[in-house]
Amino acid sequence: SGVDDSAIDMTTSEKVVDLLNQAALTSGESKLTMLKQVQELIINKDPSLLDNFLDEIIAFQTDKSMEVRKLVIGFIEEACKRDNELLLKLIANLNMLLKDESVNVVKKVILTMTQLYKVALQWVVRLKVINELQEACWEMVTSMKDEIIMMLDSDNDGIRTHAIKFVESLIITLSPRTPDSEVPKRQENDISLERIPKDHPNVHYNSLAEEGKKALEQLLKFMVHPAISSINLTAALGSLAIIARQRPMFMSEVIQAYETLHANLPPTLAKSQVSSVRKNLKLHLLSVLKHPSSFEFHGQITTLLLDLGTQQQEIARNMPNIKDVRKRQR
Amino acid sequence: MPSHPLRVAVVCSSNQNRSMEAHNILSKRGFEVRSFGTGTHVKLPGPAPDKPNVYDFKTTYEQMYNDLVKKDKELYTQNGILHMLDRNKRIKPRPERFQSCKDQFDLVITCEERVYDQVLEDLNSREQETFQPVHVINVDIQDNHEEATLGAFLICELCQCIQHTEDMDNEIDELLQEFEEKSSRPFLHTVCFY
Repeated sequence: SGVDDSAIDMTTSEKVVDLLNQAALTSGESKLTMLKQVQELIINKDPSLLDNFLDEIIAFQTDKSMEVRKLVIGFIEEACKRDNELLLKLIANLNMLLKDESVNVVKKVILTMTQLYKVALQWVVRLKVINELQEACWEMVTSMKDEIIMMLDSDNDGIRTHAIKFVESLIITLSPRTPDSEVPKRQENDISLERIPKDHPNVHYNSLAEEGKKALEQLLKFMVHPAISSINLTAALGSLAIIARQRPMFMSEVIQAYETLHANLPPTLAKSQVSSVRKNLKLHLLSVLKHPSSFEFHGQITTLLLDLGTQQQEIARNMPNIKDVRKRQR
Repeated sequence: MPSHPLRVAVVCSSNQNRSMEAHNILSKRGFEVRSFGTGTHVKLPGPAPDKPNVYDFKTTYEQMYNDLVKKDKELYTQNGILHMLDRNKRIKPRPERFQSCKDQFDLVITCEERVYDQVLEDLNSREQETFQPVHVINVDIQDNHEEATLGAFLICELCQCIQHTEDMDNEIDELLQEFEEKSSRPFLHTVCFY
């Protein structure tokens, strides 16, 4: 890390105090640099210091600079991933930042909640008994989740794009991984519905499953809005492809949505936006075609691809391995 | 205006002409810019259209320069290739392949549709991690010296406009529409996620 060499004789703790003191007195780029050093020291170098300095760092959440506030959010994410118990203390801070006046801060909270929703669910599932404080924390996570889903209706294009990605991740978490699910390596250990016991005392399997299905409905409804922006549309198309591959149980809904969109492109799109959307649709259809579970929809997918100008040989190249398909049909 | 400078990548096929011309201009204007090619090899014109000079991405601009001087100094001086390689080696040591770079950008600008397709395919095949969005925009530029210069200025103007938006994600759609009208070229545009 870029920690000052002259401070080499200080203990890590002294260095952190020193940097925090300096940061409080400066602003702009140098303040950010110092706080980044603090984060590096207490998240990666010596996490035992986390407890000691938490309040000092969180105090910067009301800083005038939006970059500093974003840094605090990143810090909260890292801290909670390292020590899930910190959610109890820090979720309220994130909740406040979710209502920040700067859209860039709100977007950063959405990205962080995309990660922390899973962390919080895992944590609440791990608890055998739940106390009042813990229950209140999970309730706040749940209400933030609802708030972010509502942001699909935000006036701001970027916030909507971020909300789409949150909803995508939520749908994956709140639906079961099945044997034919594509599982990204990085997400192998992530919690999803099948890891939650049906009789869990803290969370209700059935209501979580319902929430997951409802989130998909909301995403699909969002996609057919006649005035959807081209960027939101391309983001949603990509999300659907990811959902179809990771949760093949929703394959039919996804193919149906692609068909509907192809037949009714929003009239508000400019000519080049139509080209961009069609190109995206083709790319994602090919990625879904490759998945063995799309087998029964090959007719529909191929028709769409041909309509989009795809060459027969390109379609053939993206057909799934016959062995995989047979394995599935058995 | 975003408080950090836009992290921009300009991408063409061989990371020689179009992307390097834009790299040159953008870095002079203070952008945090990198440049790349998406091809499997680096191709430079040879003695005939069907006899290109082909290198891998490990070869430095300097090595290519020396190789071509040895092969036919007059030809490669006259068609401007040596001049281009000389410019390139002052910017960075060697061409870089987009698919091998794991750094994150705010904006990726491609110089032809095929390159745009390859960038999208690559970005979509990566595992998602932070969900941080990246805008990918295609600006068609013919692969010759004059067009590369004009294209680089257009890319630079576009980047400056994007850098000066209050809220890039919210304004980029409209901004691109205006640019299309002004430059009478269509831009492909999409968003991908890291």
